[in-house]
Amino acid sequence: MKKIIIAVLASIIALCAPAKTNKINDRDKNLINAALLGWQIRLSAGYNIGGTAPLPLPREIRGIESYNPGLNLAIEGTVEKMFGKGDWGLRWGIRLESKGMTTKADTKNYHMEAWNTDGSGQVVGAFTGKVKTSVKNTYVTLPVLAVYRINERWNVSAGAYASYLLDGEFTGEAYDGYIRDQNPTGEKAEVTRAMYDFSNDLLKFNWGLQAGGEFRAYKHLAVFANLQWSINGIFNSDFGSVTFPLYPIYGTLGFTYLF
Amino acid sequence: MLLTILSVLTSCIREEAPNAECDIIAVKATWLESNKEILSGSPIISNNDVMFYVKEETSIETLKQLDPEFELTYGALIVKENRIEENGTRGIYLYYRTTSEDGAWSKTYRVSFTKQTVIDVNAVFGFENFELNQPAPKGKYNVWHEVDANGTRLNWWASGNAGFNFTGKGKTPADFPTSSDSAGFKGCCIKLTTRDTGSFGKMAGMPIAAGNIFLGEFISANAMKEPLAATRFGLAIAPSKPLTLTGHYRYTPGETFTDKAKEEVAGRRDTCAIYSVLYEIDPGNIVTLDGSNVLSSDRIVLVAELKNPGEPDEWTSFEIPYVPANGKVFDWQKLEKGEYAITVVASSSKGGAFFEGAVGSTLYVDELKINWDNK
Repeated sequence: MKKIIIAVLASIIALCAPAKTNKINDRDKNLINAALLGWQIRLSAGYNIGGTAPLPLPREIRGIESYNPGLNLAIEGTVEKMFGKGDWGLRWGIRLESKGMTTKADTKNYHMEAWNTDGSGQVVGAFTGKVKTSVKNTYVTLPVLAVYRINERWNVSAGAYASYLLDGEFTGEAYDGYIRDQNPTGEKAEVTRAMYDFSNDLLKFNWGLQAGGEFRAYKHLAVFANLQWSINGIFNSDFGSVTFPLYPIYGTLGFTYLF
Repeated sequence: MLLTILSVLTSCIREEAPNAECDIIAVKATWLESNKEILSGSPIISNNDVMFYVKEETSIETLKQLDPEFELTYGALIVKENRIEENGTRGIYLYYRTTSEDGAWSKTYRVSFTKQTVIDVNAVFGFENFELNQPAPKGKYNVWHEVDANGTRLNWWASGNAGFNFTGKGKTPADFPTSSDSAGFKGCCIKLTTRDTGSFGKMAGMPIAAGNIFLGEFISANAMKEPLAATRFGLAIAPSKPLTLTGHYRYTPGETFTDKAKEEVAGRRDTCAIYSVLYEIDPGNIVTLDGSNVLSSDRIVLVAELKNPGEPDEWTSFEIPYVPANGKVFDWQKLEKGEYAITVVASSSKGGAFFEGAVGSTLYVDELKINWDNK
């Protein structure tokens, strides 16, 4: 599977690359000068796959029925500066990316609190049944990474990222189950389908750690894989509707065009 | 790759936590079987109550010896509390405490044994006996009961308040569709108000909740899933043949009539409903009428319905006759054999069961009385 993705990405770049190199002829000189000083400009595209998930999975979640990673793309422009002999360097830049997924899970006594839309009423209860969650968040992300060049072909990087939420969607539904008023001893009501939307409660800021590796397949083309591990949750820690923090943890597979 | 991720996620699923629920699910069939000489009908189990009806000849002393066996949520424990209360001269209350498997949750069940009682022929339903559904601070809404001449408490009245509770909008008992009001025709009365259920109600396809009060049972577990089936109208408590239903009411409809989708229906005005139905049952297997058929079932024998209630803003009395339905004739032998159930229903919106009505419609009802044939 991985090979297929790499092959697809490589063929896309192969189609685009000649057009680009022709256009930037007049800037080649500047790029070469920059390269000589240890600077490199990079443009990457990738596919984010992962989950916005609690860690560890709480015991209220009894099973995951389905998982759909969705189509989450990342486009990134970075600048890399290598120091000394060129083994070590720093890479930073800006990335536009989406992180999302859809899951269906079975829950048991899942504590929930929810305000109705005009704030005139709150429901607190324990839900046993199925929960479908759909997340689709678009972030602008600033990664800052240390880079170590193992050899001509391979480099690894690690560092941190900070993300700002441009557009967020967190929706779901609870279905085929029952809710008990307040807690597991409360009055029971069967639920056929109840939808929720916590999009407005999403935190704007997200940060975490990022690490990955890159393989330079051609002079101007590298393929990479990295992992972004969020440190803060997507909701405030006192948010009552989701009682455990949800961390976006996503892997990225993609390619980089090296100028 | 997707499969890999899914299997990683699945492998993160931790060992199931012990159960947190501690319900009485059923009465053990073996216990029911060995006590069938005493029992009448099937026990009714709700979240904090188990109600048994017992045969007339059973002595209170016999009832006090009973110790029913229950089926509980898996892993839950049950302990009989050391207290017995008498319910007037016709019943007793026992108390059991259940604790969940995880030990974190427990609740007390009131287990009642009551001799099957029919409505006293002179009874006037004045709605003076009400309390919170549970002791404060847990209790949110009012529930009503009757007390007969022997001081026995009879939980005959039901309302949809337990369903409205899931909208989160009921902060005080007066916020609920069915509440008590001190400005009754005589003492307290029932105040029924059609309420907006907010976004949770709308989400469940139930944008309004009409206030209702009826002789029967409200199954709150069905309230969201199958609301028409939640209102089980009728109890086998008719002492005789009903002739007329009398009482007092006043009614103000709400401004804007809306349909099931909460869309305004221009030109339509809300109206209230007050009616009573006597219908046939199989005493061995009681299937009550519910919201879907309470006025249309072919089991209906007699029906009394307030026609054209209007909008009186002062207390207005009514007397409505029971008229035969479905070509049926009241049969005294059937009454003798317990083959009739009777209900009395009042609602602030006639179309409330189908979520049609006007938010704010208010019906006050007091001093209901069924006048019986004293043959």
